[in-house]
Amino acid sequence: MMTAIETRAPILDEARLTRGEAAVSVRGLTRSFGGPAILTDLDLELEAGSFTVLLGRSGSGKSTLLRTLAGLDPAPAGTVSVPKERAVVFQEPRLLPWKRVWRNVALGLRQGDTRAQASAALAELGLSHRLDAWPLTLSGGEAQRVALARALVRRPKLMLLDEPFAALDALTRMRMQALVAQLWQQHDLTVLLVTHDVDEALLLGDRAVVLIDGQIGADIPINLDRPRRHGDPDFIRLRQQLLATLGVDETTG
Amino acid sequence: MASAAVSAARPQDRAISLNVSAFLAQAHRFTVPLLILIVWQALDSFHLINSRLMPSPVMVAESFWQLLVTGQLLGNLWASLIRVGLGLGIGVLLGTGFGLFAGLSRLGEDTVDSTLQMVRTLPHLALIPLFILWFGIGETPKIALIALGAMFPIYLNLFAGIRSVDRKIIEAASTLDLTHAEIIWNVVLPGALPQFLVGLRYSVGIAWLTLVVAEQVNANSGIGYLVMNARDFLETDVIFVGLIIYALLGLATDYMVRVIEQRALAWRPSFIGTQSSGNRANRRAA
Ligand SMILES: Nc1ncnc2c1ncn2[C@@H]1O[C@H](COP(=O)(O)OP(=O)(O)OP(=O)(O)O)[C@@H](O)[C@H]1O
Ligand SMILES: [Mg+2]
Repeated sequence: MMTAIETRAPILDEARLTRGEAAVSVRGLTRSFGGPAILTDLDLELEAGSFTVLLGRSGSGKSTLLRTLAGLDPAPAGTVSVPKERAVVFQEPRLLPWKRVWRNVALGLRQGDTRAQASAALAELGLSHRLDAWPLTLSGGEAQRVALARALVRRPKLMLLDEPFAALDALTRMRMQALVAQLWQQHDLTVLLVTHDVDEALLLGDRAVVLIDGQIGADIPINLDRPRRHGDPDFIRLRQQLLATLGVDETTG
Repeated sequence: MASAAVSAARPQDRAISLNVSAFLAQAHRFTVPLLILIVWQALDSFHLINSRLMPSPVMVAESFWQLLVTGQLLGNLWASLIRVGLGLGIGVLLGTGFGLFAGLSRLGEDTVDSTLQMVRTLPHLALIPLFILWFGIGETPKIALIALGAMFPIYLNLFAGIRSVDRKIIEAASTLDLTHAEIIWNVVLPGALPQFLVGLRYSVGIAWLTLVVAEQVNANSGIGYLVMNARDFLETDVIFVGLIIYALLGLATDYMVRVIEQRALAWRPSFIGTQSSGNRANRRAA
């Protein structure tokens, strides 16, 4: 079921995980599903404490890369080092419908008062009143926040987010983006966010990497002051640069 | 103050009228069966049908009472219940065991599934002669037959249920550092439970059906024995009593399975809110 990549990929020493050092290091990663390789000899390093956005066309292999980092997909060639303390949030909340909200969050916790830990994480995401709810009674945004709480409660060093807001309405998405930015600033987190949304990338990330032909084809630092604004000229310039990299010709600018 | 009193009285009125309409809705369902009983009794009273072949409801009720006070009914009912209980219990255990083995491991699927899929095509009632030769005419062949019949729906549904648990949820759970056993316990088995309960409902039905057949083929106790004995003495009223008992038993066990479902699957949207009777009345009235 779970393929542990630890055997293949040495885990970095916890002591080395200070800001400025590599939290994630991928070297020569190649992955194919029988046909042509989706990822070819890919290299990527993520600085500890950084917020990186991963962009790329549909089918370019973003999810595959993220799943490899999450330990869900074996890396047949190459080395992958990731901290063991990592958490994933997918596009769908993927909660267990037969466990109440707090039990979903507490699942896998082994030490101390797990209910207290779960309810603290849920409180941080504004869900204190839904502790005992059944997941199927939650709204889409609430369910996704539970998924975030489930990831956070493990105090991960690395947070892997695969289009976590794609299925939400515009308003909820904006709130969630602000929430993720806030969580990233408050916790000592390295974040890798997969998204299709260039604006989301520029609102949240301090670095954008674009997956092209199975490799990191573009690596663009986002040096914008926070909180960020859509109208900022630098924002607009970066936006056009990113869109051009993605092959979108935006003449209406 | 007057307006407050009025507005306070209103919801109450509505609650009462809801209860009344809910009761009427219930009552409606029994109108037709009741009418049939009355017409049937009338036809019999006026000797329009042969009461030897078709006893009147009153005659059936009298014979029910007779069987009850002489203790025949309870003794035979008990014998039947024991058979079904044991047979169903063994069948469910076996079906669950095989289902878990085949559902959770490749080895289990390769060894158990193909075999059981082959045996499944054989109607289990066809094994009665063989079982009598093997096990004699006591309790063993009956219980074995019920167990065999009840096993397959459990096995098939549990196996399918385990295999159809959402891969994505399993994957998400496996990112939470759970052990293999924890994933099975927290994710796979609860995910397969709804399908298992569907199987259980089928199994209960098959258990009763098998009981009826097994007891009619050969038995010296049980409801089926009562009915076959009555046939020899042309006591159609006793036969009717037997049929009614079968129907009631079927209803009762079906209800039990439904209660289990409601408890075990409380997380399902269709069950959420059905636990409180107030909600139920409201929903029915709506
Ligand atoms: N388990 C699998 N078996 C076969 N092919 C797969 C599998 N998983 C992914 N692929 C293929 O690998 C390619 C990359 O898939 P991936 O999901 O990584 O793309 P993506 O960049 O995340 O796309 P999207 O933006 O649409 O989510 C696709 O062509 C996909 O069909
Ligand atoms: Mg994807």
